[in-house]
Formats: sequence, C-alpha cells, structure tokens
Amino acid sequence: MIPMILKLCVRDKDGKRFFIWLPLFLVWIIILPLLLVPIPFVALAALIMWPSGKGPIILYGYFTIFKMIGCLSGLEINIGSGDSAFFIVLK
Amino acid sequence: MTDERKKILEMLSEGKITADEADRLLSVISKDSGSGSGNVGNKEPKYLRIMVEPGPKSKSPDKVNIRIPLKLIRAGLKLAALIPKSAQTQVNDALHEKGIEMDFSQIKPEDLENIVKQLDDLTVDVEGKESVRIFCE
Repeated sequence: MIPMILKLCVRDKDGKRFFIWLPLFLVWIIILPLLLVPIPFVALAALIMWPSGKGPIILYGYFTIFKMIGCLSGLEINIGSGDSAFFIVLK
Repeated sequence: MTDERKKILEMLSEGKITADEADRLLSVISKDSGSGSGNVGNKEPKYLRIMVEPGPKSKSPDKVNIRIPLKLIRAGLKLAALIPKSAQTQVNDALHEKGIEMDFSQIKPEDLENIVKQLDDLTVDVEGKESVRIFCE
C-alpha cells in the first residue's frame, strides 16, 4: 500500500514548532504521470542494453523503485537532540 | 491483572524501567499468554525498530527512533542485488579494509529473502555510551 499521509514535525532549540500534515494521495496524482512517462524510454534503453546484459537490470531496477515507494507506508523516523526534534511518519 | 503485569507496572512507576521497556515486556507477556490460547503470539512482525538512546554515561542528548517496514527492506535488498559487479568489488574492498570479510557477489536473491525472514527473530541490545536496541515488531 502506498503511503497516503505524511506527517512531519520539526522542533528547534527555541521550542518553535513546525508541523505539516500532507495528504500524499494528492501528491501521487501529480507524481504518478512523471513516473509513468519515462517507461517507454526505460523500455527502449533496456532493449538497447539487452545484449550487454544490463537490460534486465534497468527494467528490474526501475520497477523496484515503484515497489519501494509502495512499501514506504509505516515508515517512522524520530530524531531528537535535547530540545530539538525531527519527526516524520508515512501512513 | 496478572502478577507479572502488576510487577512490570510497579517497576515502571518506580522508574526502574522505561516506558518502552515496559511496553516490550507487556507485549512479550501477552504473546506468551496468547500462544497458549490461539495464534495471537504468532503474529508476523511487520517493522524493524532501531532505537538509540543516550546511556547513563553519555553526555550527548541525541535520541533516534526509527521504524522501517520489513517490506521496504526486502525491496531495498533486491535493489542492492542489482549493483554492478565493479561496484560490488569496491564495496567488498571497503568492507575488507574495515575488517569485515564479506563477498556481496555471493549473495543471491533467495539468500536475501532468508536474511529478511531471519530478521523476525532478531533482537540486538547494545549497552555502552549509548543504548542501541534493534528488534522486529
């Protein structure tokens, strides 16, 4: 499942807080065409590189990127140092 | 409430253990009790948790708490398998310099799957200047 919501929170030493709640499904609508447009070019590059053995790597690598985006849901990074903190969650 | 749960909560209130430790102990107890009555204890872990906290002797207040989906690790490892051989040689050489004898070219996709499967049972606790804990949940 691709992440649909991004929560980002940054707190600096002075206690100032920056919080962002981003509905990623809206971002995906914009990004998805940008990811789909290169597919014919990637396929062409893979075909050209096929004799050298790099074709399957290009194809597999490109689609693994999609898979990795799909697996990002549930990622949580929380880093704190004294009063400052950084927190990011993908849901 | 069972005696074990009571004891954990008492230890938490006395400050002998942290809230995270109490949480883990309570989840272990619920797993144990669940395994006797059903499949609750056999729940497959979905995330790898890495926690770094300052130890008692540490001067640094840095804290890190990362939860990585195991699916992402699987996908990442598959991507790593696509690294060209020339780059793999460089990685091997760099690891050799650090005293780590490992040949990445010998790792096959099925080995990667086994590595991720074995992560389920992984628990690493390192106590030093910083307390490092790695486990699956």
